[in-house]
Amino acid sequence: MSDEIDVELEQKVADYYKSIGINQGPGDIQYRLILKVLENNSDRITEFADIRKYTDQFADRGSIGSKIKTIFQLEGLVKKVKRGGYKVTDKGLMAASFLKSTTTFYKKVKRMSDIIERMP
Amino acid sequence: MITGLLLNIIICFAITISSLTFAFVLARNGGEHSEKSKPALWALVAFWTIVGATYLPTTIRMIAAYMGKPTIDTIMYNISAIPFAFISVPLVFFIMYVMIGNKNISKYVSFMFMIFGASYLGLFYSSGAIGPQVTELSSIFIVNSDIAIQIYLMGLFIFPTAMILGLLLLMFITSSITISIHRTVLPLVAISFVFDFILTDFITPVDTIQIASRVFVLVGTVQAFLAYFPQTVFNDRFCAKNNVETCETDENDKTEYEDNIDV
Repeated sequence: MSDEIDVELEQKVADYYKSIGINQGPGDIQYRLILKVLENNSDRITEFADIRKYTDQFADRGSIGSKIKTIFQLEGLVKKVKRGGYKVTDKGLMAASFLKSTTTFYKKVKRMSDIIERMP
Repeated sequence: MITGLLLNIIICFAITISSLTFAFVLARNGGEHSEKSKPALWALVAFWTIVGATYLPTTIRMIAAYMGKPTIDTIMYNISAIPFAFISVPLVFFIMYVMIGNKNISKYVSFMFMIFGASYLGLFYSSGAIGPQVTELSSIFIVNSDIAIQIYLMGLFIFPTAMILGLLLLMFITSSITISIHRTVLPLVAISFVFDFILTDFITPVDTIQIASRVFVLVGTVQAFLAYFPQTVFNDRFCAKNNVETCETDENDKTEYEDNIDV
């Protein structure tokens, strides 16, 4: 894996998007973590265990498997290459790039709201 | 001669009263602010108190000039230099704390400015001032020193001003958020207004510029007061309330609105 995923940050970002009414995609911690792992493993096959390493604290095995099937596979974000093994597609990488921009937006909003909060 | 100096006395007195009252009201309403904003609030209270403390001896100085008492004028000029030298200390703390949120770093940086201020005072008292030169509008002193002290003084003032401008720029860049203009931008503009015109007031050798600077200091103080205690006209125009959230509809309106939604 090229770099570690900051699960705590991803959780905060997802919570923020949920708080503004975006419950799916950027506001879904499972979606975020799965896509992050897939992006990090873009040059090789992502094993189901690679994803579960991050998602076990948020969801059970079944719901992650179901999410991969119903969202990632169905929308063509990943390609199943073997049993329990997936490869991210170009569309998936595009979604990962969008996810990055949602993190940037969150950081920008958070920084500004912190400043405003400290203003008397 | 009488009218101009009287006007100057009134302006100085108005600045003193308004800034001290503002500091007092801010301190009295301290309980309404969150724990996170309290350090910045106390820095603001200190800042406005120092502005008042600078203009109180200045008012007496102008009265002394009006009554033709140069000795009192000189003593008051020397006294007013003390709060003036430390005016940047609470301001630097305020800006640093609001920007980075770390109390300790803000304390260290503002302590540095306190040392700068103290060394300015040392330089100022060792060089002395030439004056008073009483004119139609004011009583002018010129620091008996080369340009170095002026440059030093500008350094003491330019850094905090740059910090305020930086903070304002940051707010404008982050345009994706609805910022309560009234509560965030206006106090900063008012502070920079007051801060820069106090500097102009102290270093200018021209009486008209001095009185104009004092008018702007007064305008800045009123502006800051309006930012924290907005009047109805401001509420309507800038949605100026205590914080960003209050721009939303109130609870009763919301319930009524929710009732009208067809599910």
